[in-house]
Amino acid sequence: MNPISAIRQFITPDTGSAALVKAMSDPAASGAVPFSELQKLGPTALQQPLSPSQPSGASFGNLLGQMVNEVGAKQAAAGDAVSGVLSGQNVSLHQAMIAMQEANVSFQLMVEVRNKLLESYQELMRMQI
Amino acid sequence: MITLLTGIASSSAALTAERVRMEVISQNIANANTTRGLDGKPYQRQHVVFETALRQQLGGAGTSAAPQAVQVSRIEKDNRPPRLIADPSNPGAMQAVPDINIHEEMADYITASRSFEANLAVVKNARAMAMQTLSIGK
Repeated sequence: MNPISAIRQFITPDTGSAALVKAMSDPAASGAVPFSELQKLGPTALQQPLSPSQPSGASFGNLLGQMVNEVGAKQAAAGDAVSGVLSGQNVSLHQAMIAMQEANVSFQLMVEVRNKLLESYQELMRMQI
Repeated sequence: MITLLTGIASSSAALTAERVRMEVISQNIANANTTRGLDGKPYQRQHVVFETALRQQLGGAGTSAAPQAVQVSRIEKDNRPPRLIADPSNPGAMQAVPDINIHEEMADYITASRSFEANLAVVKNARAMAMQTLSIGK
């Protein structure tokens, strides 16, 4: 099975840029509505609110803070497990190692999320207006 | 709590159980020549009995789809009688020694060690899968 076969649907000839130009130059073919028709709709129909609707639940910032807290909790649990092994309590070595790996993976996830956020911010700052 | 390494709870429990099994086997090997136990009799060989434990905090409460972990149910005494061997330093008397076959114990030990290794491989693989999934964004 070809893993990139899904990409082919984007590069079929009839959806290429040439077909798009042809459709724009021929309003009847593309079913475009003339501007006089749009004017009949009145001002209210054209002035849709541009501001995004307010999210109903927790904000993304809260979610991020919660995630940072959980990663911190995992790090603390890993530290507890390691000190339990070193001080001779009833913690086995593999439990400590698994706790450390869980902390590592969740920290990596947090770093990836932060990288993505920073990347999108920089992309926005580079945008030409 | 976020669970990133799913499915390793059973492996972790299995690692614990296999460690107990290895401890019991090493105890058998160490006491292969013990003729006086705590009760004055020769040492009796022991073996562990595993059982499954439902991890109810992971799956639904008591459903059959819940992940099943392994745990040590009990440590049983083997009922085979001690061997009687002639004691050269004490002619006419027979010495009772435990009936422990060192080859049998070593074979058991290798089995336990390999099971431990298999569970470790599962844990390692789960971690590698998580890290590879995180590299999607790179």
